[in-house]
Amino acid sequence: MPAIHTTEQLLQVIALSCAVLSILIGAWYIIRRPHLNQLTKSMLLLGLGVFPLIVSLTGNIASFEYTLTRPFCGSCHVMGPYLRDAEDPKSNSLAALHSRNHKFGENSCYSCHADYQMFGAITTKQNGMKHLFKYITEYVGTGPDGEGGPTIHLYKPFKSEACMQCHSTTAKRYVEQHADSLADIRSGEARCIDCHDEVHPLALARRPGARKEAAK
Amino acid sequence: MKHQTAKKMVLYSVIGTMVAMVLMGATVIFPHPLVLVIAMSVGQGIALLSLALYLLAVALDLQSQGGSYIPYEEPAVAEEPAPAEPTPPEGGAPPAA
Repeated sequence: MPAIHTTEQLLQVIALSCAVLSILIGAWYIIRRPHLNQLTKSMLLLGLGVFPLIVSLTGNIASFEYTLTRPFCGSCHVMGPYLRDAEDPKSNSLAALHSRNHKFGENSCYSCHADYQMFGAITTKQNGMKHLFKYITEYVGTGPDGEGGPTIHLYKPFKSEACMQCHSTTAKRYVEQHADSLADIRSGEARCIDCHDEVHPLALARRPGARKEAAK
Repeated sequence: MKHQTAKKMVLYSVIGTMVAMVLMGATVIFPHPLVLVIAMSVGQGIALLSLALYLLAVALDLQSQGGSYIPYEEPAVAEEPAPAEPTPPEGGAPPAA
């Protein structure tokens, strides 16, 4: 049996165990068809009420945690080039550099692309549903890396707030290096990726004209 | 009649819950975006409906038991019937004192 290292794995084990118990109770009822006495009703309350509730709660949390990870983002084939670049140990793109940073680790896609606001997690997941809809309606029949499909672009311009979660604009070195454009960066007129545009170069380079469009 | 209906409803809710559990379990094993969305929306919806159906079945079953409840009563002691008095024959003479 594989060892449990994270809370997510623990929740997955609990969810699976409760689902199996619930299915066993259901199978017992279907095979035996016992009289609806107090014992049967109590067993069914466990199988139809308590265990499914636990599965729902733990499954939701475990699934939500999994949706933050890079393998989940890369599970749609159109994300293949982005995933390969981020996981390439020799790549010097911003995506790869950040993915190698232990602070981002497996959650590097979510850390940079999640909305940075009070209900950011919710709005990000709403956008995720939009991704899924677009994937089903526009990209399902496309090539191995989404060739033949529409150009992939962000729904809204990438904001520098995501970068500034870690890169403080008041740090001494930052101020020295960005003296010319500091006021513009702080006011939002200039964005980090306007200059640091090697974000997903390998992924975007395969489509002519896509790189500029994606940065908009 | 109601008891049979309740049993049928319980059977449907058991089947519904099993389907929902398979869907939700599949999410944990194969966390693909499409499977995840289906399991966490359709699966949970089926599980919730099944639970509601089960609770309704239990309520119906309890109701049907209440309708047919007959309180226990002590059985009445059977009394021996009193001997019938002989009826006087019509037009006959009254019995002698």
